[in-house]
Amino acid sequence: MKFIKNHLMFILPLMVILLGIEFYLVFERTTQTYEKHLTEGYTMLVVSKKPIKLTHLQKLNPHITKAKEVKRESIVKKVGEGLSSSNSKEIVSALPYFYDIGLDAYLHTQELEKIKLDLEKDNNIKRVETFGSTYNSSYKLFSLVKFILKIFIFFMSIVSLFLIVKQMEIWKYTHKERMQIMEIFGAPMMLRAGVLFRVALTDAIFATLFVGAMLYYVKFYWAPQSGIDVIMHNKERLFATEDMAILFTSSLVIVILAVYWVVSSNKRDVE
Amino acid sequence: MSNVIRASHLTLSYNNGEKEIIKDANFTIKKGEFVFITGPSGSGKSTLLKSLYGALKPSGGNLMVGGQNLANIAPKKLQELRTHLGIIFQDYKLVNEWTVAKNVVLPLMIAGYSRDVQQTQAQRLLHHVKLAEHAERYPLELSGGEQQRVGVARALSKNPVVILADEPTGNLDEYSSNVIWDLMENACQQLDTTVLVVTHKIPTIFSLPYRHFIIESKGVYEVH
Ligand SMILES: Nc1ncnc2c1ncn2[C@@H]1O[C@H](COP(=O)(O)OP(=O)(O)OP(=O)(O)O)[C@@H](O)[C@H]1O
Ligand SMILES: [Mg+2]
Repeated sequence: MKFIKNHLMFILPLMVILLGIEFYLVFERTTQTYEKHLTEGYTMLVVSKKPIKLTHLQKLNPHITKAKEVKRESIVKKVGEGLSSSNSKEIVSALPYFYDIGLDAYLHTQELEKIKLDLEKDNNIKRVETFGSTYNSSYKLFSLVKFILKIFIFFMSIVSLFLIVKQMEIWKYTHKERMQIMEIFGAPMMLRAGVLFRVALTDAIFATLFVGAMLYYVKFYWAPQSGIDVIMHNKERLFATEDMAILFTSSLVIVILAVYWVVSSNKRDVE
Repeated sequence: MSNVIRASHLTLSYNNGEKEIIKDANFTIKKGEFVFITGPSGSGKSTLLKSLYGALKPSGGNLMVGGQNLANIAPKKLQELRTHLGIIFQDYKLVNEWTVAKNVVLPLMIAGYSRDVQQTQAQRLLHHVKLAEHAERYPLELSGGEQQRVGVARALSKNPVVILADEPTGNLDEYSSNVIWDLMENACQQLDTTVLVVTHKIPTIFSLPYRHFIIESKGVYEVH
């Protein structure tokens, strides 16, 4: 019982930290697609007198990645149903050219304004229209959520680290006698720390596996039938196999630091 | 014969020099000598041994052990020196979560001997101290005297250059005590091991020539 408790006291905080890291990874990944989504949902329309090439627009502002021409015929078709074909041809030739502009990243409002100004510098361009009333508010909300989540993850990790250090104090106490006896017989530090390191390493492996199993369950069993749109759409981004490597490396680093801390502070006690 | 241990103006104290236990002691011990140390309880016998294995730094004078001055030895050198000592503690200091056999071979483990060698040596030594059938038990399942003999077996397991024993027969009856004295005599005679034994009762039957030190009122004196 005590044995299990001793291990859980180390495994649980470690798992919290690993979950925090995984949340962060997943969040960064979904964020990227969400930002992409926002960028695409945003419309900037350029009205020009003459046809313009994408390369020309890109010279005006490098953030531009796409310029899709809006077929003038289709505009006229919608506007002037019932007009004769010759009439509509005239109207078409009198119309300016419309381009739907695509941007390379999710940009701040000020930068959007700058793009607009840059484009309007060109004599051919008559107008630049932006349609994105929701853009600004969703961006702000999005940044806020992102910030809050990062703060939350950070604090959870700090609290968990404290718990790990507390547990390490207990380990230090239970392993102290053996490490001192070994030291008197001339055992090098690596050998003295060996047992402690093995215990901690086992715990780290267990913590990583538990977290991995949880995430696997979430991805393959819970997410598909969760009924939550965002989660179902982003299922693929929830938990990647590479994450296991990142999680295991993280727990390894924490374990090594913790063991080093115990061994070196034990040494200080002896002298 | 060379000096294995040499103390000159050795002073030992606790609490940063506040509590002086031994003051200005001078003695030399040569290789292969057998030394008994006696003295009243609390006189500093264990303290002197502690300084010999480097767990208590001299607060004055010099203490040479195996060519190293323990007054200013580097940690790496001390670690190396300790692998040549066989220490028997008054309070046994066994690792309770290890089996008796594993405790016995700790010095071999530190020296990096193979498991085979460790196992053979554990069997041999436990047989010597009459504990062969307890190899796989844990220290806390043994009586005080049995634990003490495990400590003796551990100290002898790597054929140390110097044996430092603190009351190695303190908890033993006459028969078991004689077993221990025999082992130490053998080590001294056959392997030229230097042996220092703290005891309150020098054995009546002892076949080797020996020296006798008494610790009293902070001094270390030899009895002739
Ligand atoms: N770690 C310590 N800190 C402070 N004082 C100590 C410490 N260890 C021992 N002493 C004191 O040093 C003195 C000598 O102790 P030591 O253990 O060397 O005596 P001893 O001769 O071995 O006695 P015994 O025959 O009872 O084992 C005692 O007065 C003891 O209280
Ligand atoms: Mg003592």
